[in-house]
Amino acid sequence: MANHSQLTFQDASSPVMEELMGFHDHALMVALSICSLVLYLLTLMLTEKLTSNTVNAQAIELVWTILPAMVLIMLALPSLRILYMMDEINEPDLTLKAIGHQWYWSYEYTDLKDLTFDSYMIPTTDLPLGHFRLLEVDHRVVVPMSSSIRVIVTADDVLHSWAVPSLGVKTDAIPGRLNQTSFLASRPGVFYGQCSEICGANHSFMPIVVESTPLANFESWSTLMSSQ
Amino acid sequence: MRGLLARRMKFHLLGAFVVSMGCATLYKFGVAEPRKRAYADFYRNYDPMKDFEAMKAAGVLESAPAK
Repeated sequence: MANHSQLTFQDASSPVMEELMGFHDHALMVALSICSLVLYLLTLMLTEKLTSNTVNAQAIELVWTILPAMVLIMLALPSLRILYMMDEINEPDLTLKAIGHQWYWSYEYTDLKDLTFDSYMIPTTDLPLGHFRLLEVDHRVVVPMSSSIRVIVTADDVLHSWAVPSLGVKTDAIPGRLNQTSFLASRPGVFYGQCSEICGANHSFMPIVVESTPLANFESWSTLMSSQ
Repeated sequence: MRGLLARRMKFHLLGAFVVSMGCATLYKFGVAEPRKRAYADFYRNYDPMKDFEAMKAAGVLESAPAK
């Protein structure tokens, strides 16, 4: 989860999110170089160190067309590389469905003897000590770590969005439509997210918690849940 | 004073380019590369089972409650 006053991304817990962080660094570097260039030139102009009475500007106009085109290519190529990487066809080890309702998520693990459950936020009044306000849920989405997980996201009523920043996942939940996303949790842990599409009064109170554990532990959890 | 504008413009355009590339280089080697190194170092000798056992003992996992 994010700390108070955190401005940067949460630590990446999936290979895709690591790539996205790298791309963000690249894009920010490009933005920084452009902004520093503009600021430097602006300072010069305001202090009258740089003036111009040019009437024939063919050469400079060529420069400031070609250079931005090159900058755009520098941004587009890594961006498209990651976009296609995210859409790669891979054989998922597990498929689960996430269905958005007002105002909770329900999950279906139909690979595993029809395991389904709802996931409601734990109200602040019932929150145990040390747990995170507005982020904890009564039933977490448990997944095996280092396994390719496919999530099919949809909604029952209005638009929602299933997002877990640490895993680099955000997929809109649209009634009447199935959207697919996939992720791979690189390490065990608990990863928090929140509904990311305005969906009514309790839009801020339907969080998502993904718990990634070793396969053996996941299997014993799923057996226990199926029997309940 | 002859050719002052041209001289100054040449100097400052070069200077602007240097400042811009300098900022980009500073960011790359001050932020981006250390971040990549930090992730590589973290995962180099990472033991997920040890981490899992620590989380289990701390009682933070719903699927593996601490005994």
